[in-house]
Order: sequence, then C-alpha cells, then structure tokens
Amino acid sequence: MKKFTLIALLLVSGLIFKAHAQEATTNEKLSEVNDKVNGLTERIATDEADLQKLTKIKISGYIQGQYQMTSSPLLDAGSNNYFSIRRARVKFTYEATDGIKFVLQPDFAPGALSIKDAYAVLNDRWTKSFSLWMGKFNRPNYEVEYSSSQREVVERSLVIRTLYPGERAIGAKLEYNPTTLPLHVQLAMFNGADGLTINDRAGANINPNENKDFDNFKDVMARATYNISLGSFGGLDLGAHGYWGQMKAYNTTTLKSDYTTTEAIKFGDPIKRHWIGGEFQLFADVLGGMSLKGEYIAGMNGTTGFSGVPAGTDPVKNPAIPGVANYQNNFAGYYLYFIKNLGKKNQFAFRYDYYDPNTDITGADVAIKKYSPTDPMLKSKTSGQSDLATTTFDFALHHYFDDNLRITLDYAVVQNEKVGTPGKVVNNVNDAHGNPVVVDWSNAINQNVLTLRIQAKF
Amino acid sequence: MKSINIKRFAVVAILLGMIGFAFAPAADKIVVKGSDTLVILAQKWAEVYMKSNPSVAIQVTGGGSGVGISALINGATDIANASRKMKQTEKEKLKARYNTLGVEVACAKDGITIYLNPANKVTELSIDQLSKIFKGEIKNWKQVGGADADIKLYGRENSSGTYVFFQENVVKGDYAPSCQTLPGTAAVVNAVKKDPNAIGYGGAAYAEGIEICKVKKDDKSKGCIPTAETIKTGEYPITRYLYMYLRNKPTGAMKSYIDWILSPEGQKLVVEMGYFPVK
Repeated sequence: MKKFTLIALLLVSGLIFKAHAQEATTNEKLSEVNDKVNGLTERIATDEADLQKLTKIKISGYIQGQYQMTSSPLLDAGSNNYFSIRRARVKFTYEATDGIKFVLQPDFAPGALSIKDAYAVLNDRWTKSFSLWMGKFNRPNYEVEYSSSQREVVERSLVIRTLYPGERAIGAKLEYNPTTLPLHVQLAMFNGADGLTINDRAGANINPNENKDFDNFKDVMARATYNISLGSFGGLDLGAHGYWGQMKAYNTTTLKSDYTTTEAIKFGDPIKRHWIGGEFQLFADVLGGMSLKGEYIAGMNGTTGFSGVPAGTDPVKNPAIPGVANYQNNFAGYYLYFIKNLGKKNQFAFRYDYYDPNTDITGADVAIKKYSPTDPMLKSKTSGQSDLATTTFDFALHHYFDDNLRITLDYAVVQNEKVGTPGKVVNNVNDAHGNPVVVDWSNAINQNVLTLRIQAKF
Repeated sequence: MKSINIKRFAVVAILLGMIGFAFAPAADKIVVKGSDTLVILAQKWAEVYMKSNPSVAIQVTGGGSGVGISALINGATDIANASRKMKQTEKEKLKARYNTLGVEVACAKDGITIYLNPANKVTELSIDQLSKIFKGEIKNWKQVGGADADIKLYGRENSSGTYVFFQENVVKGDYAPSCQTLPGTAAVVNAVKKDPNAIGYGGAAYAEGIEICKVKKDDKSKGCIPTAETIKTGEYPITRYLYMYLRNKPTGAMKSYIDWILSPEGQKLVVEMGYFPVK
C-alpha cells in the first residue's frame, strides 16, 4: 500500500512538475511571440512613417506618339509623312506639408529634352484662398493652361501658339481662389521674352538664355474666371485675361503695322506689347454631354529692331549696314470649339480658329503697302507673308480605351488669306522629292495635316 | 499625299462616333463605387432593389469617396458614392473628360460619430477639444477629464471622404502624425474596441460595441450624440449629407433606381441601416 502511495505521489508530483514545466515553456513562448509582435509593430510603424513620406510625392505623366501626313509644300521639308514623339513628360509633385508644393516636369521628347515646369507653390494656410507661385509655369490663359493630354484637338489654336510660345514663362504668380465664391483670379509677372526669338542684324537670337531676361522690363498678366451654374442644364464659365508687356528697343524708330506710321523712341525705351481677351466655356448635360468653348483676343504685339551701322573709313571693307526698325502690329484672333461625347468611350471635336497678325492691312494690300521715305532703315520694310491671316478648321475623333489610353484621329484644314497680286509674295521651296516648288500666296496654299495619335497617360 | 476630302472625312468621323455610341454599355447594369461610410447602405439598397427589379444588375463596392469620384471621372463606375462634396479639381476633370459638371444627389444624412472605448471615463468633448486631440495638441486623457493615459488616435485614409470632412470641419489643420490611418470605418471601430485609450471617428451606422462620445459645439453648448432628432435639428455639430454623383442626368434604369432611393421605401432603408433620411 505504502509502495502504491509512493508511486502515486511520484506520478502526481511528476505530472505537477510537468505541468509547471509546460506552463513555464508556454509563458516563455508567449513572451517570445509578444516580443516578436512588438518588434513587428515597431517595424510597421517605421515603415508606415517612411511610406507616409513617399505618399507626399506624386508622379504622373503622359506620352504622345503620332503619325502625321501633310500635303503642304511648306511643311514637307524632305518628308511629308513621319512618326514622331510629341510629348514624353513625367511630372513630379511633392507636397511637403499642407501649404507647400513643388513641381518639376521634364519633357523627354527626342531632340527636345527640356524642363517644362519647375515651380514652388506656397498656399495661404489661414484663409486658404491665396497661393503664391514662383518658377517656370503656364501663363494664365484658358488654352495654355488646358493640358494637351486633355485637349480635344491636337494643337493649340494659332493665336495662342503665337502669343504664348512654349506656353510656360519664368516669373511669379499670385492666385486667389476664395472658398465661398466660384471665382478664380491670377495675377502674374514674367520676364516676358520667354520662347521668343529676337534676331540681331546678323540673324543671331539675342534672347537665347531662357533662364534670364534679355532686358529689364517685366511683363504683367492677369486672368479672372467665374463659374455660373445653370442648374441641371450644366454650367457656364466666363473669363477674361490681359497681357501688359514691354520689350527694350534697339532702334530709335518704330514702324506701325499700317506700314505708314512711324514713332520715334529712344534707344532702350519700351516697345509696348499688350492685349486683352474674353473667354467662355459652356458645358451642357445634353445627350451625354457637350460643350462650346471660345476666346477672342486682340491687341498690339511688338518686336525690337536693331540699329544700323554707318560705313567705315573704307566703305568697301566696312560698308554701312542698314538697321531694322522696331515693329508693332495690331492683331486679332479667336477660336471656337464644339465638343460632343459619343457614349462613354468616344468623343467628337471641331474647332474653328482664326488669327490675323496684322489687322491694319488686308491680303490685297500685302506686298503693296510699303514705307517709302529715304530712311534706309525703313525703305526695305514691306508687308508680306507674315501679315496674312490664317483660318483653321480642325476635326478630331477620340476613342478612350480606358483612363490611361486615348487614340485620336485629327484632320486640320488650314487656309491662308490670299495676296491680291499674283507673284507678289512667293516662297521657293523643295518638295519631299527635292523638286523645286514655287508657292504663290495669291493662291490657297495646302497646309492640311492629318494626325493619328496614341496617348498613354498615368 | 492626295488631298483628303473634308466632307468625306467628317462623315466617316461622325459615323465612327455613332458606332462607338451604339456600343455604349447597356444601361440596366449599374456600377456603384466609393464611400466606405455609405457602402453598407448602398449594398442594402442594391440588394432590395434587385429583388423587385430582377432585370437590373447593381454592383456595389467601397474604396473611399476619392476612389469613387476618380472612377466616375475615368468611366469605371456609373455612380460615385461620396461622404463629402466633389472638389473643384475633380469637377474640372469631369468637365474636361465628359463636358458635364456631374449630377449631385443627396441620398442620406450622417452624423460623424466619435468612438470611445467603453472603459474610457470621458463621455463628452467639444469641437475645439476634438480638434486639439486630432492635431496632437492634447495628448493625454487627463487634459480632458479622463485617466492619466496617452490618447491613441485612429482615423481614415486620405482617400476617404470622412477623413476630408472631419479635417475640414473639426480638425481644421493637419492630423497629428501619430494618428493611425485604417482602411475602413469598421477597422477604426475594431481598433477602438480593443484599446481603452483609443479615440476614432466615422459614420454613425458603424457604432457598435463602442461608446459614442457626446459632442458639443463649444463649452457653453450641451453635448449630444447623433440621433434622428439631433441630426434633423442640426443640434449635433458634425452633421453631413451623403451623396451619389453621376456624370449625366440619369435616364432609364439609372433614373428609376435613383428615384427609388429617394422614395419613402428607399429612405426607410436609410433609417433601418443606422443612417438618417435626407428630409
């Protein structure tokens, strides 16, 4: 019996010991698992903090590959059909905090590697209505600010391409977007000569440094838009913009675009360039969505001339070089879009655009209007091809495969204003086969372009 | 190149467009995407509506208000559910892609509810205190009459409409970096349930197993929780509409569905699911 009791005691104590040992092992394991979980939690917290920083960086971009055909003797330049990459852009946006944003957008298109956008934005954190921009960014204008990844025809209208070459400019901008009103106001100051080619007497561009102003005059731009709700019909956005710019005169005479009037100014004085425009965009929820958009711009553009050089003591070796007067031209241009969605995937667009670089003379006057005084600087200045108006009818059809991919078929019909007298204004060019062609601007010149474009956007 | 006949080109272009139009998706399949706050109600609406209208297929998913609106802009959904209003930048994108300003339909009301753990002694907070708590300026519960313990913040991801609404109307600044963002209101509720020192926010319909904190406009006001009465009278200070956004004016099956949601039958489900009716 004693033996049995002893064995039972031993067994019970063994079981208790084993249970204790198991409990100790379980506790150790629990502690180990707990440590591991704590370690993982710490790592996740660190990773989350790192990830949080990365979410402040946004990367977007788009690529436009296209095939174009033209039958224009002016646009052939050795090839009348070709593939090209129009855009290859990546946009980096870093929102450091709620109120600060940095944007950098290079364009990697072959042969045109450049920085398109590089700017910082400081948002007012108190009223949340103002923001200050500084760097290189789009000039304030509807068609300029409307990205080509969204635009309904393949190129901007001619008046916009002429007034705002390259779309961007270097400067500063104050934006006002009140939280209680559908109003958007922009006031900007730029170097002003961004994207302009200004030739000297040798034909060299005296504005080659796009990162620096070529004179001390600054240009001012303003744009204001207001959104009006039309209830269930849609909405109407109305706006206006203005440009007040100046360019340093390199000649003491400015010739006006009537080719009759001149103005004497001092060397270094400003040649004024200013224009205003009115715009509207009507969005209608009719048959799946359509819009009408338009803008009219008119004013005076200008460019600097250059001084003449008198003959040296040996006029054979150092002949006199006539200067070229500064030039100011009154211009007008407008565009009108009609855009219609066809289901969720397709869209049709039509744009009519018109640009007259010189509203003071008609096509009949071109090559006839000529300044005739004896001033050598002016006597050779005759109206010409650059004074002719251009009209473009642009038809486009888009198919959206999804949010990222769009295919576009676009046909632009370009029509020129005709010169009154045959043979007065001609270009001697070679066609795609190298054959000489005489382009007479008293006729309609075929400058039509067919474009097939695929755009990938992310 | 032979010159292209413009008339012929225009005719071909328009015909191609019409063909595209003809192949537009059938209207009796409705895709709904967006707000996680609204998703349980949207699923209930779809479920009940499809029973009485078997020819209509309605597919509902969440993802957040921002995700829903992006999907509306890129054509991936027919209805975007949102617990905030559409931003101006989003309207501009819709204009650019579809040439419309979108259609806003207020389909329910909600009171953003402040979730506390039942073990928490704190039962009432003012908007100012909530702002300071979520900005990280008040870090300990004893600063608002609770125990001496660090406050644990839980909130939504920035694609959430609730995140945006709460930030704009309550926090009025940046969230504290210590605020843990979670994917969905249910996850916020679960986190608060498990942590006695936690505080979170979200839709009223999700408030189960937690303590609902009374909220007061300022120190002089009386605190209250979101109820049909306090929401209707505007006494509860964090009240908002919940929206459905469409690209165009609804027609056909879509119009019937929207009309039904706004009908007494649809609004009855709003109450049943823990939300508040529009009227």
